[in-house]
Amino acid sequence: MYLQRATGRHLCAGHLAEEVEGRVRETMAADGMPPGGSRVAVALSGGKDSTVLLSLLHGITQESGGLDLVAITVDEGIAGYREETLRAATATAARFGVPHRTGSFADLFGGTLDRVVEGQEHRACSLCGILRRKALTILARDEGADCIATGHNLDDEAQSVLMNWLRGDRDRLLRDPLQPGQRGFLPRFKPLREIPEKEVALYGVIASLFSPMPECPYRHTALRGEARAMLNAMEQRFPGTLERVVQGQRTLARGAAGGIPAPLGACARCGDPASDHLCQACRLLEGGSFRPVRHR
Amino acid sequence: MRVELPDGSVRTVDADGIPVEEVLVLLGVNPVEVIVTRNGSLVPEDAVAAGDDEIRLVRISHGG
Repeated sequence: MYLQRATGRHLCAGHLAEEVEGRVRETMAADGMPPGGSRVAVALSGGKDSTVLLSLLHGITQESGGLDLVAITVDEGIAGYREETLRAATATAARFGVPHRTGSFADLFGGTLDRVVEGQEHRACSLCGILRRKALTILARDEGADCIATGHNLDDEAQSVLMNWLRGDRDRLLRDPLQPGQRGFLPRFKPLREIPEKEVALYGVIASLFSPMPECPYRHTALRGEARAMLNAMEQRFPGTLERVVQGQRTLARGAAGGIPAPLGACARCGDPASDHLCQACRLLEGGSFRPVRHR
Repeated sequence: MRVELPDGSVRTVDADGIPVEEVLVLLGVNPVEVIVTRNGSLVPEDAVAAGDDEIRLVRISHGG
């Protein structure tokens, strides 16, 4: 059913599902996450990655107990796309009996993504990413969560590394993504970070978790799309590229002597992690397109 | 064989007994980026496609 190109192995549906579940458990154990009794806010967009994530965390919780899950969904305000995935998110949370909280850019920041990107559509994914991260933090804190779990997969991680190279972003390249979060910041976990996107998608199909979803209309404007195409072309020709890119960045971050970026500081306005005096979201919001982030 | 692309369009490929991956390459599709079904069942890209097969490709990435 599936050819795992990096290893050359053929897997049937049952073995692929077992392998995905096993690797997620290993990742969670390796990352020391999250301790029993934790309230975990699961970022649930309604797309395949977050749907699979919620299913897996629900399964692990059912087996071993101890995690108090709450699904949080951000409505960015993308007409013609978000409605369907929001319905899917609601249905997924209900299916697993997990409490579900939704918050919108409009409610949290005073405007939809469609509005803020008018005339700068090429920046849509960048702006959306900054504000979605902020929205997730707000919603998770409102829900009393101890941490946030997101559905980032191996492909996402490799794309981020390449994008940081393409942008010449030394600080992000030299920051160890697996370093424990600093005190006072809501820890974020990525249980799917070792799972290739195709395996996440196949797991979802095997488990009958979703039906085909629409594509985000801004997808084609993103640098991430270029990075994805480049890496996938390399992965096709040189299987294992994605994993090596991610592992290489971690090795680089851990091994860099001198010149290692200082740990993140706190945003002067909202207190969230920031590499400058304000976090990216507050810098963006200061521009006047949205209302300021509410203080807490 | 009849091939349904991720955008829903349909192409006919005049080939028989070739690996699915070759079909995808002919159509300019990277096998890393799609899930493939042959006559309704999931198959790996090194499965062989016959002339009367129906191939369907589903794109796996939808976000930004």
